Amino acid sequence: MTAKTENKEKRIGLFVCHCGVNIAGVVDVEKVAQVLTDSPGVTFSTDYVYMCSDPGQQMIIDTIKEKHLDGIVVAACSPTLHEKTFREAARLAGLNPYQIEIANIREQDSWVHTDKEKATKKAVKIVKSHVAKARQNENLDPIRVDVTRRALVIGGGVSGLQAALDIADQGCEVVLVERSPSIGGKMIQLSETFPTLDCSQCILTPKMVEVSRHPRIKLLTCHEVDSISGFVGNFKVRIKKKPRYVDETLCNLCAECEKVCPQVVPDEFNMGLSFRKAIYMPFPQAIPGTYTLDAEHCLGLNPVRCGKCKDVCDKKAIDYDMKEKIVEEEVGAVVVATGYDLYTMQALGEYGGEKYEDVVNGLEFERILSASGPTGGVMRRPSDGKVPKSIVFVQCSGSRDTEKHLPYCSKICCMYTAKHAMMYRHRVPDGQATVFYIDVRTGGKSFDEFYMRAVEEDKVLYIRGKVSKIFKEGDKLIVWGVDTLTGKKVEVEADMVVLAMAIVKADGVQNLVKKLKISTDIHGFLAEAHPKLRPVESLNAGFYLAGCAHGPKDIPETVAQASAAAAKVGDLFAQKELLHEPTIVPVNDELCSGCGICVTMCPYAARTLDPARGVVVVKEILCEGCGACAAACPSGAAQQRNQTDDQIFSMLRAMLRE
Amino acid sequence: MKIHYYPGCTLKQKTTALDISTREAMKRLDIELVEPEGWSCCGAEYPLTEEKIAGLAAPIRVLRQVRDEGGDVLVTTCSFCFAVLKRADKAIKDDPLKHKRINAYLRDDIQINPLTKERTTGFEDYNGEVKVLHLLEFLRDRVGYLKIRERLKRDLKGLAVAPYYGCRVLRPQKEMAVDEPDSPRLFEEFLQAVGCAAVDYPFKQECCGSYLSVSLPAAATEASYRVLRSARMNGAKAVAVTCPLCFYNMDHRQDAIKETFLDFTGLPVVFFTQLLAWALGVEKSMLGLGEHRVPADSLFSEAPATEVRT
Repeated sequence: MTAKTENKEKRIGLFVCHCGVNIAGVVDVEKVAQVLTDSPGVTFSTDYVYMCSDPGQQMIIDTIKEKHLDGIVVAACSPTLHEKTFREAARLAGLNPYQIEIANIREQDSWVHTDKEKATKKAVKIVKSHVAKARQNENLDPIRVDVTRRALVIGGGVSGLQAALDIADQGCEVVLVERSPSIGGKMIQLSETFPTLDCSQCILTPKMVEVSRHPRIKLLTCHEVDSISGFVGNFKVRIKKKPRYVDETLCNLCAECEKVCPQVVPDEFNMGLSFRKAIYMPFPQAIPGTYTLDAEHCLGLNPVRCGKCKDVCDKKAIDYDMKEKIVEEEVGAVVVATGYDLYTMQALGEYGGEKYEDVVNGLEFERILSASGPTGGVMRRPSDGKVPKSIVFVQCSGSRDTEKHLPYCSKICCMYTAKHAMMYRHRVPDGQATVFYIDVRTGGKSFDEFYMRAVEEDKVLYIRGKVSKIFKEGDKLIVWGVDTLTGKKVEVEADMVVLAMAIVKADGVQNLVKKLKISTDIHGFLAEAHPKLRPVESLNAGFYLAGCAHGPKDIPETVAQASAAAAKVGDLFAQKELLHEPTIVPVNDELCSGCGICVTMCPYAARTLDPARGVVVVKEILCEGCGACAAACPSGAAQQRNQTDDQIFSMLRAMLRE
Repeated sequence: MKIHYYPGCTLKQKTTALDISTREAMKRLDIELVEPEGWSCCGAEYPLTEEKIAGLAAPIRVLRQVRDEGGDVLVTTCSFCFAVLKRADKAIKDDPLKHKRINAYLRDDIQINPLTKERTTGFEDYNGEVKVLHLLEFLRDRVGYLKIRERLKRDLKGLAVAPYYGCRVLRPQKEMAVDEPDSPRLFEEFLQAVGCAAVDYPFKQECCGSYLSVSLPAAATEASYRVLRSARMNGAKAVAVTCPLCFYNMDHRQDAIKETFLDFTGLPVVFFTQLLAWALGVEKSMLGLGEHRVPADSLFSEAPATEVRT
């Protein structure tokens, strides 16, 4: 790509935008337009108050037609904002959209300078360089690719269920992958839900059943995503099937196996507050409705050592020889709904670490409150089963603590603590509920009314201040805190303490994001493409976010986000074919020496070395046009379209020549 | 092993038991303690106001002296000295402005030898070359519990001792960086290494009352009572301390505690170095037990007591 592509005859039109006073206040826009008239290739030059307005765009369209322009430079704001607008205008005028060039004289000039003379000089240089580039721009067409109208949803909590149902109801197939034996997530463990106090299981189980019966949803529990390849619209997913050792199609839930199993282990569903057998059903409404054998705690999957469960199973559903398996699925979009975990007790040494049985976290307390919980819904404390007459609730346990713990707000704890205290007062009417808080944050529909009900009707005592220490003295837990409204130290004796534990990223999500190549924030929560305008998409195309994997949020917000992610998947699937930016970096076979440097530079795995031909080949659809390879290529074989080395040097010359 | 040791003023005056038991114990571990020449008071309290730079000149001067004598480690037992020396050293390293200002004070330093009247001037800036270690840390990290166990001469037979950190050793954690302040293991592991059983109790890092002993004695009495009571309730036969002021508040003040809190019946308070020295075979007369207001002799009988009358 040398001089032959430089079209000396090219007719460039220049449009300089005032952006009100945003640009014109600092840059002499008229002068810029006037100085550039003499530049090589420029056949038309003008300025206008708002280029992005309808009349502004019309002016471009009309001028292209009248003056037979074949290249346009718009000197305005950042191309991230209006490049699309002006490309569309060019298209309407019959000009190839990739003949549009944006010279950013706002963010890179008028907004960061005050000296009008110097800023104008800089604007001239910026515009000149883009004119030089525009003279060498080629006509390009978007790269087109088909879409697989099938979605993968990772995570079977409420967000994953909602996303799966919505996508399936739009008419597309869904593969729902859940790593544990049943869907339901954290929500199925909750007792009641704020602010309406409806039973969590009662509102979630219908959705779980719907998912399991939906003709377009393929439910894969005990499965984990192993690897993913491909690109938006065309992913290939390898999914690891972990052995359940029970054939779910044969198991009839007779429970005989459970009765004979000699191995007793803490029950995860009840947060370790009760026990289950090594062969078990996570909870009565578990879906799929089948027993699962926990190999880690089984005596050895060996009929010589035990084999009791296998002996009693009439249906011959138990198979000790099940092996891990890989299944492959092809999908076009991925919804990541991997949920959250709670901050660990061990991290809170000031609250006893894990030393005190009667200091529990919010999720453990949910199980104690739940009718299906370890105490059958009767309020009893874990250590000795006594009915606690005084409970202290500690909000922000681990949250909002820049010094020692996590700096962010876990968002749902204010509301569920109000609920916990309220439920406790309903169960134990003569019990004392005390809440320590920093602030009570009740931003949500009917939330503040709910909190006020806890204070006024249920007489929950709220103390504004943090708890410094919890320790045991005899039978009682002593809670030291401060009342910051009176400025006094407070000491409360309690039978039980409930910590509103901070929400953290789900265990193992860091491995998953590496496989998916999607980004997270510094706390490990999934990062959205734009915090305001693209809240449910990942920057990596084809990946969508839902639920607490993205950050702490309550059930209504989780469900809304899941539906939004599903709608976005619907957008993608509604397209006949996907268009990909053509400004990629192809390989010039004649120049490529096959050194492979660009292969290692590519962050998108778009480039591979063809050993037979000794040259690099590019998967165009994967190339995001970052240019890392072009910069690294020693032979000049990797040239980015409309950003060739030649163009870059022309830009530099235009800029540096006085 | 030769190592620089900073006793501090209190150990030279009021609380010699801590000093002599340290020296005797270190002898048994073949460690020679060297005091930096011409050391002064550390200042006792780390100045928290930004402007009080002069207060940091004293501890930095001590550290500079250690460096000039070729030392790279300074060991101390008193919690107050430890906190001041360590925080001053950290300030020098982390805060360029403090580094500049403190060294500006010390550059004009003149030291006059009292005997020869010889004047020394022209000191080099101190840049944090010396590592400040509490003796407990030194034993853990540089000596090792294994070596202590090998040298044990007496069996303390699992004497139930409550480790008392007080306020100065663990906090502020970012500066002291000795151990996790809420669930420390340092003192507990030491006690186990010398043959005691470490009593777990929730008041091990709570304040003993500190200098309120002077300005508001009743407050110090109550604070110390709460620590002692909690230790007793959890089965301790003695409380082990590292700090002369903790010792004063909990030992010397025990009569006042008993008068104020009638449920309290007393509990001996010892220095961790006394336990170490005794376990390493040091004679009882070299433990400084005469300084104790609450008799602790019975803890150190040749047939070590498993139960102490208090």
